[in-house]
Amino acid sequence: MELLEGISWGLIAPIFFIQLILVIVSLVDLSRIEKTNGPKLLWVFIIVIVNIIGPILYFVIGRRNN
Amino acid sequence: MSQWMTLFQKEILEMWRNFKWIWVPITFILLGVSEPLTSYYLPQIIKSFGGLPEGSIIDIPPPTAGAVLASGLSQYSTLGVLIIVLGTMGVIAGERKSGVAAMILVKPVSYLSYISSKWAGSLLLVWFSLFIGYLSTWYYTGQLFDWIPIGEFFQSFVLFGLWLTVVLTVTIFFSAALLTPGMAGFISLAIALVLSIISGALSHLLEWSPSQLAGYASALLTVGELPDDTLPASLVAILLIVILLWLSVFLFKKKELAS
Repeated sequence: MELLEGISWGLIAPIFFIQLILVIVSLVDLSRIEKTNGPKLLWVFIIVIVNIIGPILYFVIGRRNN
Repeated sequence: MSQWMTLFQKEILEMWRNFKWIWVPITFILLGVSEPLTSYYLPQIIKSFGGLPEGSIIDIPPPTAGAVLASGLSQYSTLGVLIIVLGTMGVIAGERKSGVAAMILVKPVSYLSYISSKWAGSLLLVWFSLFIGYLSTWYYTGQLFDWIPIGEFFQSFVLFGLWLTVVLTVTIFFSAALLTPGMAGFISLAIALVLSIISGALSHLLEWSPSQLAGYASALLTVGELPDDTLPASLVAILLIVILLWLSVFLFKKKELAS
């Protein structure tokens, strides 16, 4: 645990926080949107499991713009 | 003018609806901030992952604050450009495909205000995201390394923003000139890539190329002063933006009237 001592959580915590916002926003959007590119359930997994890149991938590729 | 404002507001509202105002800035923050964090904690990261023999000493000289901030910028010039292009390639081509553009243009709306309002909306988003992301990168670099003078921060911010604006305008141009968003995105990315590679390789011949602006911004951070060719490069960039916007209105009009 001494490895974790040198890390300043004041700087790391905001990162986790905005990452969480990104996940929540993409899930909200996913629940509202009618259709996505590919199965919806797949996107839920991608957003939740793939760190940072998952939600971004969803917004860039998964969202069908119409 | 009030008509243009209405179109512009519609554009802003649309970007709220698809959460662009949230996810693009957050992505820029995460992209930028990851640079100072990883370079600061690199020794610890190596220690926790590597099965290094007992007693081995890892001695990585800590990078300078300017170099860290510049590497944050280089994140924006690769992944940031990718996000901007993929995010804006559909703004005109997508609306044309779905028929929204035709619905708007039936009304007495000029082609110029239609395209320029879309361009201005995306422009605002890009500059806002870059500012938020770059500011937080600057803050983290200051906390973990050294504080970069705020004047240098703003200068490099404006220079880099200008380059991103060129990329954005190229994307809008192809979005207006071509029918398919995918094609527009692909060509814009290819152009941004080729421009950076060519002017990187022939940097002594193409000092005025707009894609040098990204390099000049990081040179300002690492060396501490602006290269002499910054002014011509910025002027060429602005000229290119104006010409491309004008051309995209022209081509879009021609295509719409033909169809």
